[in-house]
Amino acid sequence: MKTRGCVALLVSALVAFAGAARARNVDLATVPPREGVQLTIYNSEDLTLVRETRSLTLKKGLNRIQYAWANTLIDPTSVEIRALEEEDQIEILDTTFLHDKPSHCIWNIDSKIEGQVKFRVTYFTSGISWAADYVAISNHPETAMAFDGFVQVYNNSGEEYENAEVRLIVGVVNLVEKIQELARKGVKVPGPGEPVPPALRADAMRGAVARAEQAKAADATRPPEIVKEGLSEYFLYTVEGRWTIPNGWSKRLASFRARDVQFDILYRLRVHQYGPRPMRFFLFKNDPEHKLGASPLPDGIVRTFRDNARDGLSYLGETKIIYVPIKEDIELNVGTDDEVVHKRTNMGVERSNFAFSDGHVVGWDETRTWKEEIRNFKSKPIRMEIRHVIQGDIDLQAEDARLHDYHTVEFTYTVKAQQTFSWQYKYTQHCGVNAKQDRIKLN
Amino acid sequence: MKGAKLRWGVVACAVVLVALGGRPALARIKLTTLPVRERVEIQLDNAQATLVEEERIVTLLQGTNHIDFSWSNTAIDKGTIQFRVVDMPLRAKAKEDPPSVVRPDGKVEMIQVIYVAYPPNENALVWEVFSERPAAARIRISYLVGNLKRSFNYRAVAEQDESTLVLRKYLRLDNVSGEEFGTSGLWAGFGTYFHREVGLNEAKEMLLWRYATVPIKKTYTFDWWTGATVPNEPEQRYVEMRYVLKNDEANRMGRFPLQFGKARIFQKDGHAGEAFLGEDWGQFTPIGDEMKLYLGLARDVVVKRKVMRSQVHGVKGSLYHRELLLHYTVENFKNTPVTLDVREDMNRLRDEFCGHKDHDAQWEIIRDETTLPEGQIERADSHAAMLHIPLEAAPKGEGKVKALTVTVHVFLRNEW
Repeated sequence: MKTRGCVALLVSALVAFAGAARARNVDLATVPPREGVQLTIYNSEDLTLVRETRSLTLKKGLNRIQYAWANTLIDPTSVEIRALEEEDQIEILDTTFLHDKPSHCIWNIDSKIEGQVKFRVTYFTSGISWAADYVAISNHPETAMAFDGFVQVYNNSGEEYENAEVRLIVGVVNLVEKIQELARKGVKVPGPGEPVPPALRADAMRGAVARAEQAKAADATRPPEIVKEGLSEYFLYTVEGRWTIPNGWSKRLASFRARDVQFDILYRLRVHQYGPRPMRFFLFKNDPEHKLGASPLPDGIVRTFRDNARDGLSYLGETKIIYVPIKEDIELNVGTDDEVVHKRTNMGVERSNFAFSDGHVVGWDETRTWKEEIRNFKSKPIRMEIRHVIQGDIDLQAEDARLHDYHTVEFTYTVKAQQTFSWQYKYTQHCGVNAKQDRIKLN
Repeated sequence: MKGAKLRWGVVACAVVLVALGGRPALARIKLTTLPVRERVEIQLDNAQATLVEEERIVTLLQGTNHIDFSWSNTAIDKGTIQFRVVDMPLRAKAKEDPPSVVRPDGKVEMIQVIYVAYPPNENALVWEVFSERPAAARIRISYLVGNLKRSFNYRAVAEQDESTLVLRKYLRLDNVSGEEFGTSGLWAGFGTYFHREVGLNEAKEMLLWRYATVPIKKTYTFDWWTGATVPNEPEQRYVEMRYVLKNDEANRMGRFPLQFGKARIFQKDGHAGEAFLGEDWGQFTPIGDEMKLYLGLARDVVVKRKVMRSQVHGVKGSLYHRELLLHYTVENFKNTPVTLDVREDMNRLRDEFCGHKDHDAQWEIIRDETTLPEGQIERADSHAAMLHIPLEAAPKGEGKVKALTVTVHVFLRNEW
């Protein structure tokens, strides 16, 4: 079993603190409780910014504050403290990292006042993460859906943050070193070891901290609001209320609930991307017209169900959406449909326009005739978009074709309910020395 | 195998707060009521995943309730678990209600899921649910479960004259999920809806649909390139016999696609019994397509194939055409007339006579020496010709079977 972590702030009652290293094995400390904690959790990196508020009672002169975080994943290089009150009276003189205690640091604080002062301790930790996921439940006719977003917060940091304000960052931040690696490394201080105060047992510390916690709990009569706001290139989700996520646990909260979200259905055949059968997509937008658009949608799994008209659900499938900005299209791939069939048959090949070199064939044109067919056995019309990648120097003769890119041709057709639609086209591929280009040309 | 446990309960609020609070809940002491399953639906309409929906009546206190759902030895996909209140009690919007809890119809749901919590190292979760009043709520929980799988199989009984058959399509449910579901509704997405006991480690097979008097198209196919060789007969290949069932309304099917599954074919023997003809894997057959079931070899239809001419016609430089004359000599020893389908793969024919090439063969059948009428030759696709050769029944009595030789004149054009 993993040892539980412990973050503690100790005010050491030291008679004197000399700059020189001196052995010291007896210490006395008071443990000021956390008065508030805010977690800002990033989903692009294993990174959480923790901001704790604690009150320390200072004496005039030098105060020695020890901060310890045994068995947690805190980045020692990120730990800092600052006074929230009487800032001009209080000076943080230095921070000392102990050579043989990588999960400790000591602040020397010079105070011109005596009394209780609020401090803020901030640091990065890893092991806390969050992820978005979504549930879409379509009505039976497949015209509108309920689309719910969730956020799930995981705490494997080794530390329990009780009654924390939770904020989630949607966006990609740059880190030059992983927080987890920094946490494992600790801080190596060269030179002789500084005498250290005795380590306090994690459980005792935790009990002291927990007893002192006083924070407003979340309103338990309704799901919390998750307030979304832009922040530079990121989006900040602030979860209403205060939350406790014990170490090892995760919690899933509703981020939004959208009802009566209208959507279109498009079938796509892209053998190179989805395989040989047409895939069905539910298409809508992250905008107010679709009862969405309050914020971008973070990356996440969408699980799609359909009302099966038998007082139950059918599971259509799951797909991952990648960050969807406001007003951007949302495409849910819900898999194949047994009632829609596509067939493509090569009906023949003819070669012509030969080129020779020393009597050998070195160039020729190859004309292929294709027949395609869409069979729609559904009780409503369908729209299908078909893309074929054709490599080489291609001249294509087809009435409804359009180019998707230089080597991809696209057809889009609507097929009536219970109908079959078929079409034929030809293309000529210039081969050998006849190939002058790498593109499809529509004729 | 150790029995599975799938359990949920309403946990007394004060007790579970200890669990969710400051301590890691490794020993989660709970006082729970255990509501029984009122209804279970097993949705088998997705080929990749089985959705279980179960309903229980949960007595909720006014205020905060914790509903604990846990399982063991059962492959429930934790991420797919959905919680819904059936017949949600509603009330009119009050002034103090935040917009987020007001539905588009202006009503507010009186039971709200506040959050879901997942304990560490446990197959469990806890819903925190707020109820505005004491209520016995019907709760539906849906989840995907592994090792509860559907499959399909078919049993066909053909009439003695092989003109029609009765096709029965069965749904088979294999439950090695580790959970016993009791009496459950079973729905494959089409066909019959079942209500059956689904026990642990058992397979259940149910008649999903019965198609009566389905016309049989019996085919005899000769393919030189894929057919089984006949010992000591280098010019011969065995003829394969298939039943072809067209999945459309004209052939008394076409209601649903036919899923992949094993098909066993029997034939009435005229003595109130049945004989087993063979079995095959029936491929997924959309509506409008044919399900072809290979049953075995037709030893009474004998085909020999010979290439009687191979001639190169130079065009220019290394470019040439190749002319081939194929003879198929066919004998029908059956006492019924049949149509023999001969499939000739032109790419393989070209490879044999021109060497392997990366490009498709450009081929045509020249009419001058070809003895089969035009309507009996078909271009199946870019590289295969199909010949349909009608054969008379073997003469009755001592009359000898007449061998029929079909000549096909093939031109392979523009090879080098």
